[in-house]
Amino acid sequence: MVNGFNPNSLRQALEIRAANDVIPYAGGTDLMIGEQHPGSYLFLHAVPELKRVYLEDGILHLGAGCTFTELLEHPLTPALLKEALSQIAAPAIRNEGTIGGNIGNGSAKADSALIFFVADASLKLESSTGTRILPIRDFYIGRKQLALHPDELITEVLLPLRWLDGYVYQKVAARKALAISRISFVGLLTLDNGVIAHCATAFGAVSDVVIRRPEIDSMLIGKSVEQVKAIRSDYLAAYDKAIVPTRGRVSSEYRKAVCLNLLLDFLNHYEI
Amino acid sequence: MKKISKSVVKKDHQTKIDGTAWYVGDYPQAGMLHGRIVRSPHPHARIIEIKPYALPEGYFIVDHRDVPGINEVHIVKDDTPVFAVETVEYIGDPVLMVVGPDENTVLRIAGEIEVVYEPLPATLDVRDSITTFFDYNFGKGDPDSAFANADKVYQEEFETGYQEQAYLETQGMIATFADGKLSIHGSMQCPYYVHGAIAKALGLTPDRVRVVQDITGGGFGGKEAYPSILACEVAVAAYHAGGKPVRVIFDRREDMEFTSKRHPSLSTYRVAVKDRRVTAMDIDVIFNAGGYTTLSAVVLQRGLIAAPGVYNVENLRVRGRAMKTNTVPNGAYRGFGGPQTFFAVEMMMNHIARDLGEEPLPFKQRHLVKQGDATSTGGIYHFPVPLPDMIAEVEQMSGYSQKRATYNTAKPERFQRGIGISIWFHGAGFTGSGERDHIKAVTRLHKTTSGYVEILASQSDIGQGIKTTLCKIVANELNLPLERVTYNNPDTDRVPDSGPTVASRSLMTVGELLRRAAIHLRSEWKEGEDQTVEERFVEPDFVIPFDIEKFQGDAYPTYAWAASAVEVEVDTLTGVNKVLGAWASFDVGTPIDYNIVVGQMEGGLMQGLGYASMEQMATDNNGRIRNNSFSDYLIPTSMDVPVLEVKMHVEEYPLGPYGAKGAGELPLVGMPGAYMAAMEQALNRKIQHIPFSAEDALLGATQE
Amino acid sequence: MDQGIEFQLNGERVSYTGSATTRLLDVLRDNFALTGVKCGCKEGECGACSVLLDGKLVNSCMVAMGRVAGASIVTIEGYSKTARFAALNAAYAAVSAVQCGFCTPGMILASEAILAKTPHPTEEEIRAGISGNLCRCTGYNAIVTAIQSAAKEGNGLW
Repeated sequence: MVNGFNPNSLRQALEIRAANDVIPYAGGTDLMIGEQHPGSYLFLHAVPELKRVYLEDGILHLGAGCTFTELLEHPLTPALLKEALSQIAAPAIRNEGTIGGNIGNGSAKADSALIFFVADASLKLESSTGTRILPIRDFYIGRKQLALHPDELITEVLLPLRWLDGYVYQKVAARKALAISRISFVGLLTLDNGVIAHCATAFGAVSDVVIRRPEIDSMLIGKSVEQVKAIRSDYLAAYDKAIVPTRGRVSSEYRKAVCLNLLLDFLNHYEI
Repeated sequence: MKKISKSVVKKDHQTKIDGTAWYVGDYPQAGMLHGRIVRSPHPHARIIEIKPYALPEGYFIVDHRDVPGINEVHIVKDDTPVFAVETVEYIGDPVLMVVGPDENTVLRIAGEIEVVYEPLPATLDVRDSITTFFDYNFGKGDPDSAFANADKVYQEEFETGYQEQAYLETQGMIATFADGKLSIHGSMQCPYYVHGAIAKALGLTPDRVRVVQDITGGGFGGKEAYPSILACEVAVAAYHAGGKPVRVIFDRREDMEFTSKRHPSLSTYRVAVKDRRVTAMDIDVIFNAGGYTTLSAVVLQRGLIAAPGVYNVENLRVRGRAMKTNTVPNGAYRGFGGPQTFFAVEMMMNHIARDLGEEPLPFKQRHLVKQGDATSTGGIYHFPVPLPDMIAEVEQMSGYSQKRATYNTAKPERFQRGIGISIWFHGAGFTGSGERDHIKAVTRLHKTTSGYVEILASQSDIGQGIKTTLCKIVANELNLPLERVTYNNPDTDRVPDSGPTVASRSLMTVGELLRRAAIHLRSEWKEGEDQTVEERFVEPDFVIPFDIEKFQGDAYPTYAWAASAVEVEVDTLTGVNKVLGAWASFDVGTPIDYNIVVGQMEGGLMQGLGYASMEQMATDNNGRIRNNSFSDYLIPTSMDVPVLEVKMHVEEYPLGPYGAKGAGELPLVGMPGAYMAAMEQALNRKIQHIPFSAEDALLGATQE
Repeated sequence: MDQGIEFQLNGERVSYTGSATTRLLDVLRDNFALTGVKCGCKEGECGACSVLLDGKLVNSCMVAMGRVAGASIVTIEGYSKTARFAALNAAYAAVSAVQCGFCTPGMILASEAILAKTPHPTEEEIRAGISGNLCRCTGYNAIVTAIQSAAKEGNGLW
């Protein structure tokens, strides 16, 4: 076809990717906005390897080509991810948009990426010459900058399921559908006999990259609820410093205030 | 419910739903030329030169030198040039048009053509403007004494923002010049406005201009005057196109950035209160007109007349100005000046009530106008004012007072609720003596030998259902099945000028003319004969003639009335609010088609809620509209207002067809007042501007 | 040059030989004269250009032609010949859910997508199902009512 490649296996896709200057086309729902790109698209919708979803050693492998709708309907998709996916745009976008595309677009507003950040997920990046696994936090380098080699494709998201059951998720947007996140927050917390076994938070759409600071969250881990109460203000102060929002359609002051409100509410939710 | 109110399948239902209806963008493009307007990138500048450009074969450029007639778009005051001459007055001011057979090539050339400008100082903020386009002053009673004798004087300033019509179909026109005649068709509300504008710009006699309205994908005022501007530009291009059609269809960004919007406003209300009663208002209103006058005079007039709201204010002083800024010209949008002042007066009344320790609703109820009272312009409310009953209906639907009391004593929790009420009118038809002095509407009915009756009028169906409702009226009077009465999209070669499709006038005014024409035809009906009858507008006898110089007399023959309650829940952690419900009672007289009227009410109500909240549009430091796409300018989706309930209250207008009066604009006008009153309760603070964002809610909430 | 992009369009096998990066919307309107597919924004933000791709609702402005190879596309022109359309048509007509009409073909296909998945949807499911299809005229109530009534009256069609 003219200006396009339609591989039907991953091997084929990676070979085309290596040999040609192509733009990967996953769901098209970001790529097709605005002026048409010159050059050729590498269409990935018919690559079966990118559609696989399977569980291995407590890690959920999500094919990067899975659409939001497919994952919303999949029995293995955890509730938190479903909650975030269900609030993306509207049905027609969810039917075509993929998690690989959501990540590959490089935006800190990507609602699925936020969940992958808080879960400390990794990405499987493949090329015709090899495979590497990269934590998602290392994949995002800066604003629209990704650690993706020109011959690579994102092929899977490796999502650890262990800590995903206890969560607070909030998308802040200007309307109830078809809305881009202005701020998004997710907090994970697991209590084990009154001791915080796990805590992780992430803030999306606030600055160039999703904010995920495990070193701050680790202040709480291993401590009892009582012990945490004593360092609660230190924890909040650490995030107050760590969150440096950019100004966009809303002010940085607003973003900051909402982030801290939601963080505080997260702690209140678990009564800590 | 009257028989005429019973709903029918709309005349234009089938082709729209099955996709066979052609809008202007749907005509086959073979043989057409495409046009692209090159616009000023500066808010204010002198044009030094248009650099020569080597155009490919078959491509050409038109600018002000190519305008064969007068380089002015006829609107009200004709200061809008077809193409800019010496200066440009806003970002987007049209300088020239590139025309040619291949659309992409035209776009490329338009991007490459170099126009040299000398930037001039620009006025972007209306507060800095020193150029007054229009300045009106009127009043009644003795406001000075009332203020001198007041127990207390209140003063507040209110601000409203832009609102974009956001019709789903963008603006577009296709024009052809052949055999000395210019023919144009496209998306529009007012074929005869376009007709007059083209005749002037092209220097053609009226018979040499033909305008046909295409099926139009929404207007809401946005296709009242703007199509005249676009049509002149496309017509000039067609004039030089050697007989080929020239087509210009805006993309969404061009449409949002450069076409007219609702005027942003600043209103200062000074109110005298004595013995817990408002005795005087001194109101100063400023509208941001933008770079040219377009419709600002008439929009401002309507806003000023409505400034004291539905309240009987015996001593009144109103001043209103439309000020020039170097920004996109603002124009007509459903409500036409009313939404700005109704927001201000409703909030003002809430705030005074609050200060007096009284609930807003009873305070407002104590001040309502009633039949026989004087209007703001010394006219008379000639007909019953049904507001007390309508407020009771809203109370019944919404549970307003009980919720209000509950939320007044709510505990400080994350989610705070509020409920608010707003009461308003919309003057039915043109302001002042427009119908009598300017429009002079003419309609005809043409009966064919086979007994079909065609309505000949210039009303545009823009979705509001006028094709259906006018046909229902005529069919009813002639006792014909609806299929036997037809109404085609207006074609100025075939139909008389029954006036524009604006000001909620079409059904009330033109509908009544057609009803009388139908009675006339019925009395002369001769089976098997070709017959035509004509009917002309006559001003009703009871009307006190309106003097526009003094703003005295009946600005409107009658009024449509409304009351609405809105309930919200605010997340105090994010400032985001959720509309829990919106309830309204509307009186537009007799609904000529119940479903159609309810559809108008619900849709307009929703636009009013959007106006107050998510519909944020701002200019950047250069005066360029920033929110120029549907991802940046948000309008309500199906999920934003889950509960929306409307009741039709019928107070018949004896001079409208079967008692109908103006409908289309009413539902939008006062919704921001109800919404923001609810937000005020939830946030326990005053609100003085719209649109009111989550950010406004949060930062305000943390302050108090 | 290899052969064009082949796909099913309203039940017929068709071929397109232009660029694989072109929008499906433009090809449907310009090459196949299917102007019932409306263009409201070209950014996936309004739903006026909605079509069914292998039975699922998509914005045709957001789909490049290479994606369509081997797929089945249904536009309003094809869908309007079905019994399901007839049920929706009657339901929309009965409540005058069509005003300016520009969103309507897309809204009908969104209605089909809802009912195909959930023959008896709740009001909430309907509102979510049409949430990507902007309508500036109606306030959505009439459309929601029409879909509810089509589900009831067209019982068995979906």
